[in-house]
Amino acid sequence: MSNFFKLLYNEQFKIYIRKSTWIMYLLLAGIIVTLAVVANSYGELNEKYQQDNWREVLQEENNEINDTLKKNEDSFVSMQLEKNNFHLENDIQPREYDAWQFVMENELLLSLVTLFTIIVAAGIIANEFKWGTIKLLLIRPLSRTKILLSKYISVLVFAFFTLLFVLLFSWIVGALFFGVNGEPSFVQYQLGNYAEASVFEEITKGYGYQLVTLLMMATFAFMISSAFRQSSLAIGVAIFLMFAGNSIVGFFADRSWAKYILFANTNLEQYEFGDPMIEGMTLGFSISVLAVYYIVFLLISWLFFTKRDVAGH
Amino acid sequence: MSEPAMQLLDVKKNIGSKQIIKGISFTINQGEVFGFIGPNGAGKTTTIRMMVGLMNLSDGDIRIMGNSIKSDYKQAAREIGAIVENPEMYPFMSGKQNLLHYARMIPGVTKERVHEVISLVGLEKPINDKVGKYSLGMRQRLGIAQALLHKPSVLILDEPTNGLDPAGIREIRTYIRSLAEKENVAVIISSHLLSEIEQMCDRIGIIKNGELIAIQDVHDTQAEKQISQILMEVTPAEKACELLKSQHDIESAVKGGALLFQNEKELIPQLIKTLVEHDISVFQVSVTKASLEDKFFDLIGENTIE
Ligand SMILES: Nc1ncnc2c1ncn2[C@@H]1O[C@H](COP(=O)(O)OP(=O)(O)OP(=O)(O)O)[C@@H](O)[C@H]1O
Ligand SMILES: [Mg+2]
Repeated sequence: MSNFFKLLYNEQFKIYIRKSTWIMYLLLAGIIVTLAVVANSYGELNEKYQQDNWREVLQEENNEINDTLKKNEDSFVSMQLEKNNFHLENDIQPREYDAWQFVMENELLLSLVTLFTIIVAAGIIANEFKWGTIKLLLIRPLSRTKILLSKYISVLVFAFFTLLFVLLFSWIVGALFFGVNGEPSFVQYQLGNYAEASVFEEITKGYGYQLVTLLMMATFAFMISSAFRQSSLAIGVAIFLMFAGNSIVGFFADRSWAKYILFANTNLEQYEFGDPMIEGMTLGFSISVLAVYYIVFLLISWLFFTKRDVAGH
Repeated sequence: MSEPAMQLLDVKKNIGSKQIIKGISFTINQGEVFGFIGPNGAGKTTTIRMMVGLMNLSDGDIRIMGNSIKSDYKQAAREIGAIVENPEMYPFMSGKQNLLHYARMIPGVTKERVHEVISLVGLEKPINDKVGKYSLGMRQRLGIAQALLHKPSVLILDEPTNGLDPAGIREIRTYIRSLAEKENVAVIISSHLLSEIEQMCDRIGIIKNGELIAIQDVHDTQAEKQISQILMEVTPAEKACELLKSQHDIESAVKGGALLFQNEKELIPQLIKTLVEHDISVFQVSVTKASLEDKFFDLIGENTIE
């Protein structure tokens, strides 16, 4: 095992041997199973379209909708009408809900993964100070930079494993509850029209966009943890900002510098529909702003970790 | 002569505007046990933190086997094993997991070596229990085991006797002596209790308010002429006091009909003769050996923290 890999192993070992980490995974597992049960009992699983007569079923539904529409205008049912028409016109049979779609819908769990990663990032330095073990850690013949890097990479590895767990476990639970269809695709509303979309693509995009917030907030918590050596502060501030981020941007939206706020840029999905939060922002602009924040977070973490004395309290 | 194990060269440390360590220099040889004694707040832990690289030096340098802690940190750290203040370990991991954790941080420490240090400190039985369940004495031992993993040339122990019972202290004492003699390890032990470590040290450095105020060779004090504490019960005491001053140039204190002073034991017959010749009744003479401890208090004076 190479030197650095051993450090990574140590950090992973310290994360995964602790009960609090197992509780995080149990929580995720519990929520995934609950979601599957709920979807199974109350969700729209498209079972009624699975016979050969699916066109008639759709047509019948449309007739019913038209009847209701005559009585009163309701956009929700009219959207269903549009969607049904899309299926009929393009001769696409509505697919049965399956494991892939379940995985896709569970992308909301990524905010929980972000939360857990923040907790781990906030503790990975601060806890060593809390336990007093930092002294034994930093008297080894290794540069502090290397130790810091092993800790930071460990946070990312934790996020990766947790994300993998959500994907895999969702798929397995989804497969058990709903089965698996080949070549998964579904029909969704996009840019004013209904269109068929690939589920794989949606999973990649849906999870991918949220990874930006995860990476930025975990790095932020890591920085606070390194600078203040205090995990509760790091967790508190990071989580507060994560939830208040959009309100902060909204509050300062009319200022000229609003577009430089981190949270105006974390949601890259805004560019997919060509309607950014603040006028004049582009994908390239956001990526540059994110990169600057990211480098600053890491630089501050590094400065505090490598330059500051480990003194008594 | 071989290279010194550790050298402190005019080491200074400022925290804020306060100078905590005010220029300390000393040398520790290989295979020597050095006691680092001082009252609470003297700066022992601060000096040790600088020795192991936890704190930067404000001025001066520390060399470990010739490697500067400032410019050759990795080489210097390779030669050091240490416990700083309390032997804190990961409480949720077993003793063995803790040792393996630190073993992975230093190239060349094998599993065999880990087992070796475990038996060296006698922790075979509880080694697979969680450290959270260990007693303070067990944690101290685990701390020493951790410090010895990579066979360092210099072992630094900050208050290793803290919280140990007399049997535990005796055990550490024998153990440290054998380390120094058999493996030629230089050992630095800090303590505020001189009596606890006096017997295992070759030399003792006394630190007070961030300054090294004395270095004492422990074996020297046994060889040199003993200064003793002498108490003489005499009447009239005041006259006796004057006599000692005029005839023998000895300053003594009068305390409830007795004289109290320090001098060589060999002088006593002569003093009695003088007193008797001047018609002074001598009822009792008692002598107590001044230990290093008394010297220690003489040197540091009152235990005041600046
Ligand atoms: N982080 C710090 N900030 C300010 N002053 C400090 C800091 N750490 C230590 N000191 C001061 O430095 C002095 C020396 O402290 P140090 O811990 O080195 O003493 P010590 O000799 O180890 O004492 P003890 O026997 O109590 O362990 C004390 O006056 C203490 O108040
Ligand atoms: Mg101390």
